[in-house]
Amino acid sequence: MPLWSFLANRYTITFGGIAFLAAAWNLYVVLNDDGILAGRVVGPDNRPVPSAIVVLAEKTLLVTSPRARATTDAEGRFRFSGHTLYHFYLEAYKEGVGRMQAKEFRLYFKGQNMTLRGPLRLQESKPAGVMP
Amino acid sequence: MHRYPHWPIHLILGTVSILMLIPFVWVLKTSLTGENIFSYPPAILPQNPHLYYYVDVWYTIPFFRYLVNSVIVSAMVVAANIVFNAMAGYALSREFLGKRTIIMLFLSCMMIPFQVTIIPAYLITKQLGLLNSHLGMALPVCSTIVCIFVFKASFDAVPSSLVDAARIDGLSDWGIILKIMLPLSTSAVATNVILAFIWSWNNFLWPLIIIRDQDMQTLPLGLSRFLTVVEGTTGALYAFCVMVLLPGLVIFLLAQKEFIAGLTKGAAKG
Repeated sequence: MPLWSFLANRYTITFGGIAFLAAAWNLYVVLNDDGILAGRVVGPDNRPVPSAIVVLAEKTLLVTSPRARATTDAEGRFRFSGHTLYHFYLEAYKEGVGRMQAKEFRLYFKGQNMTLRGPLRLQESKPAGVMP
Repeated sequence: MHRYPHWPIHLILGTVSILMLIPFVWVLKTSLTGENIFSYPPAILPQNPHLYYYVDVWYTIPFFRYLVNSVIVSAMVVAANIVFNAMAGYALSREFLGKRTIIMLFLSCMMIPFQVTIIPAYLITKQLGLLNSHLGMALPVCSTIVCIFVFKASFDAVPSSLVDAARIDGLSDWGIILKIMLPLSTSAVATNVILAFIWSWNNFLWPLIIIRDQDMQTLPLGLSRFLTVVEGTTGALYAFCVMVLLPGLVIFLLAQKEFIAGLTKGAAKG
C-alpha cells in the first residue's frame, strides 16, 4: 500500500494541516520580527516635518508607558528598530508646528516589522485659554 | 407505502440547529469585534472584524504553557480511558459470578457526584505523591463508567462465535481484546476518545484543587486567571473562550460519525 493512501485520511490531513500552518506562521514570524517601525510625519499643510519627535509608547491591557523616541529626518521620515511590542501608541510633535495625539496601533506578533500606511499628521496646537 | 414529504422535518431541524448555533456565533463574533454584548440593537454580522484580541490573549498570559499542560493531561486521560475501559468492558461482556452485582454497583456509582468524592480523591493523590502533577490531574478521570458501558455494549455486539474461534486458535484474553474486539469497535473507541478528551479538557474543579504552580495550570484555570487580570476586555475574554473551545470542537467534528455510532450501538438490543 503506498504511503500516501495510508496518510490520506481526515485525521492526518487535519492535524498535518495545522502543523504545516503553525510551521509556516512561525517561519513568517522569524523572518519579520526585527522590530522595525517606519513612517513619516507631515505638518498641517501636508509637508514633511524635519526634526519632529515621535514617541513610541507601549500599550498593555492595563497601562501605557513610553518606550522609545525618534527624530524625523529632512524628509520627515522616522524609524524605530528592535522594539518588541505588539500593541502600542505613536505620538508626534514639534515645537512651533503642532502635535499629533497618541494614535493606537496593533500588530499580530511582538516586534512585527511595519511601515505606516499613512503619515502622522501634526495639528496646529491652539494657544491655551482660547475657546474655539 | 405512503410517503410523507421530508421538507417540514428538515425545516424544523434546520431552525433548531441555527438557534443552537447562535450562542457560539455570538461568542465568535464578539471575539473578532470586542463589541459590548449588551449593545442594542445587536449587529448580526461582525463590524470591522480583526484577530488582535487573540494576540492579546496569547501575550497576556502564558497561553502556550497552559495549552501544553491541557494537551498532556488530555492525552494521558484518553490513552488511559481506552486501555482501562476496554479491559473493564471486555470483562463485563463475559459471564462470571457476581457480574450483575458489579454492573449494579457501577450504575449506582454513576449517581454519586464528583464533588462528594473530592476529599478521598485528594487524600489518595497526596499519598501517591501526585499533587501538582500531570498524572495527578489525569488520575480521577482515567476511567469513567459511562465509557465502560460504551465498550461493553460494543463488545456485546461482537458474535461470540468469533471470540470462541479466536480462543480455539490459542489467542489469550489480551489478544482477543487487541486483535478482535478493538478493531471491531472503532465507534466505541471514537466515543471514548471524544468523551474522555472533552471531560479532561474542560475539567476545572480537580486541577484547581491539586495544582499549586502557575506553570502547571491548564486552560480552564488559565481562563479563570485571565478573568482576574483583564475583567474589562470583552473581546479578549471571548477570544480566550474560542481558543479553549477550538481543540475539542475539532476532535468532535473529526470523529462525530464514529461518536454517534458508538453512542447508539447496542441501543436496539433487546
